[in-house]
Amino acid sequence: MTLELGRHSFGDDEALMMAIVNRTPDSFFDKGATWAEDAAFARVAEVVEQGAEIVDIGGIKAAPGVEISAAEEKSRVVDFVARVRETWPALVISVDTWRAEVGDAVCAVGADVLNDAWGGADPELVDVAAARGAAIICTHTGGVTPRTRPYRIDYDDQGGVVAAAITDTLAYAERALAAGVARESIVIDPAHDFGKNTFHSLEVTRRIGEMVATGWPVLVSLSNKDFVGETLGLEVGERLVGTLAATSVCALAGARIYRVHQVVETRQTVDMVWSIAGRRPPLRAIRGLQ
Amino acid sequence: MSGVRTALVPGVLALLPSYSSLEDPVAALRSACLDAVARLGPRIRVVASGATGGSGAKVGAALVAAVGAVVVEDGETGVLVVGNGSATRTEKAPGHLDERAADFDAALRVSFDGIDAALAADLWADADRLGGLPSLAEAEVVYDDAPFGVQYWVAVWG
Repeated sequence: MTLELGRHSFGDDEALMMAIVNRTPDSFFDKGATWAEDAAFARVAEVVEQGAEIVDIGGIKAAPGVEISAAEEKSRVVDFVARVRETWPALVISVDTWRAEVGDAVCAVGADVLNDAWGGADPELVDVAAARGAAIICTHTGGVTPRTRPYRIDYDDQGGVVAAAITDTLAYAERALAAGVARESIVIDPAHDFGKNTFHSLEVTRRIGEMVATGWPVLVSLSNKDFVGETLGLEVGERLVGTLAATSVCALAGARIYRVHQVVETRQTVDMVWSIAGRRPPLRAIRGLQ
Repeated sequence: MSGVRTALVPGVLALLPSYSSLEDPVAALRSACLDAVARLGPRIRVVASGATGGSGAKVGAALVAAVGAVVVEDGETGVLVVGNGSATRTEKAPGHLDERAADFDAALRVSFDGIDAALAADLWADADRLGGLPSLAEAEVVYDDAPFGVQYWVAVWG
């Protein structure tokens, strides 16, 4: 399906890189490296240079921590979004927020996508997306409260975690549609590690094709997450290879958007798998064909 | 040949749509081939080495289709010969370097008469259908190069 991300359109054979840009002092991977606005701006410049189509700007880390008010969240992201919009008109700007109030403020200054990592915790976010013509990412969190860790969550019903992820993200997608968000502007995300233990995230990865088969474009956010770390016994900073292995599995199944820390490595992985899947010609093949 | 216009192109598989890349590795060659084939009229007889439906014939048919003409067995408005010189011009060439290749190709450039079939086979040349073509000196040669260690000519007679 053609993707409409705010003012930007993408054909249904394109895989997109969404580069993570944290305006936080405490996110797990970069540990505040782009907390300063100029550092975050330099990070955007870097990922644009690396070919990312989308930046995902976040003002609150996902893990539990100090309470961040909506006002504080806005102070971290709104002016920054405006600056990025002005500098890179062709770049898709996504903002990682669950709050409608923040979503409205960033869309007003040029954000194209609202990445609701917390699965619709604020019911008015879809109305903001509809009113602003923004796209929305519908994630599955198993109903947990924002910024809480999964604790003894289980998916005992038939179909397990994947059925739950499909049911919840599609319900969210239908809610967005009913609110007036364009069908082409709705993306679903199983949300690895969110409301999931490592076994759940591995199963979601293995069965990601079932989500793709729903027909909604699928985003995967795998980058350096704990399910990779626990599977391989590796700390943050050592998880790139495992991340790329999981990326390959999702790419073969046809996931469309990859939310990543490492753009270059992920792009190579997805391009390679996209070509294996027959969706992308080789860049330049002459061996044996001269 | 039959008195109609004749063209020569190499049977380069990279010219086939099924082997297209994001960046065309044979852009200049392709452009020259299409230019030559477009001058053969709407009904083109393809003359290629090997079995009917072999790779040379496939490349010829693809070029004919690409210019909007059709392949015919008779009543042709033009003849498309598919063939090329040695494939052993460099160490990276498909057949590796054979020191005899440069002289072999230089001789073909002067005349296609009396080709040594055994030497052609040694040099991985696709020369079966080159014999009988007039000299390249009488043609308009639109491409003459060996970019991958394989000698290609694109030429039009008449």
